[in-house]
Amino acid sequence: MIPADAPFVSRPASSFLAGVLALGVHGVFLLLLVFGVSWQTQHPAPVMVDLWEALPAEPAATKRPPPPRRAEPVKRMAEPVPSRPPAVKEPPAPKAPDIALEKKKTDTRRVAEEKRLAEAARIEAETAKTAHEKQLADQKKRELLRQMEADALSQRIAAEAAASADRAARLAEAQAAAGRRQTELARAVGQYRDLISATVRGNTRLPDNLKGNPEVRCLVRLLPTGEVLSVRVTQPSGNAAYDEAVVRAIELSSPLPLPADRAARAAFVPELSFVHRPKE
Amino acid sequence: MINASLPVQFVMLILLGASLMSWWYIFIKMFTLKRAQKSTDDFEREFWAGGDLHVMYQRVSAERENAGEMERVFEAGFREFTKLRRQAGLPGNVVIDGTQRAMRATYQRELDGLESHLSFLATVGSVSPYVGLFGTVWGIMLAFQGLATVAQATLAQVAPGIAEALIATAMGLFAAIPAVVAYNRYTHDIDRLANRMESFMEEFSNILQRQSNKAV
Repeated sequence: MIPADAPFVSRPASSFLAGVLALGVHGVFLLLLVFGVSWQTQHPAPVMVDLWEALPAEPAATKRPPPPRRAEPVKRMAEPVPSRPPAVKEPPAPKAPDIALEKKKTDTRRVAEEKRLAEAARIEAETAKTAHEKQLADQKKRELLRQMEADALSQRIAAEAAASADRAARLAEAQAAAGRRQTELARAVGQYRDLISATVRGNTRLPDNLKGNPEVRCLVRLLPTGEVLSVRVTQPSGNAAYDEAVVRAIELSSPLPLPADRAARAAFVPELSFVHRPKE
Repeated sequence: MINASLPVQFVMLILLGASLMSWWYIFIKMFTLKRAQKSTDDFEREFWAGGDLHVMYQRVSAERENAGEMERVFEAGFREFTKLRRQAGLPGNVVIDGTQRAMRATYQRELDGLESHLSFLATVGSVSPYVGLFGTVWGIMLAFQGLATVAQATLAQVAPGIAEALIATAMGLFAAIPAVVAYNRYTHDIDRLANRMESFMEEFSNILQRQSNKAV
């Protein structure tokens, strides 16, 4: 009696399932976080409004493609014209059975009237009918051939027009692509120039005695990775402390940000002539 | 998150642990309360259907391991009642008093089991936003300290640090909101269950009193 009397504590809850569910909730939240928010993996560069300088070249590049597109409707309109006459000419063909039928009727009447000559007449009539039919079929075939020829001609003309339009379009596109690439390159170079300026400017500690906005020109030798090898002042500003500060800032900014594009990088590596003004 | 400083990382780790634990308890309590409500419903239906109390007692004490909260209260009360009744010469009100005490003890114990871990949910709900805020403030402090070493500050130099620090607040809120909701919900559910059990105890005492008067 005593063991049965003992108070009952608590039961084991289904904690395993609860743990799995809790992990599931966190997994869902993590997925939401990863796919719901567009994480920026690279630091956004302090982009300047310098982009405007590179823009004027672009309208010309974008305007060029339309001509080939305009040529297309003309080509499409030209196509249906040659294909229409055959459609008009076709109706005569169905008349052939009518004629044949009439012929047959008269034949049968004649057969009824002249029973004696039936065999010969019928054979004669039949041959005549077949000849007539053959003639009709020949005509039809000829018509069909003519139509096919016309079709092929029109198709060839259309294909030629399309090919020439295509060639023109491709040429225009290539030109546009070249232009675009040029502007893109120029823009990338400008962008990275700004980026480097901004990084260096962020690291520059201006001396107290600086007046105005003096300009320093430096020649920076770079590794392809952006590592600064050496810095030389080519045109000092007149304030030695400031020159020093700029050189130190450039060294501090190593590695400098460089464009991933090989062609654009050529503007920076191996030597970069760097113009620095403290305020911009 | 990986770039964050050590204190911020620590805060995030704590918050992740708190969030995991609180969701674990949320699900455990959800299952427990669902089962408690179902067993209470079933038992009340069975009890008021007017079956034999002895038969019911036999059944409940046979499956004591899986009995619901109200079934256990019933079992404790009825056992005490039969035991006291066997001792001849006890007045009726003494028997009922003893029965009520036995039922109340079981009721308290069962309620305690139902309410366990709820305080953890309350703590997570109230504290984790502050912990997250602490991590954020710390991260922003470091971001601005890093800004002090450069001459010209740009937004790009502080923005990533601040964004990282804000993750701590987000995690704190993620841990806190479900915990608070679950805490409120479960306290309400447990209160209702407790009310039902108390009413049952009163009604059951009345029934037992009638029985004992009949016997005497």
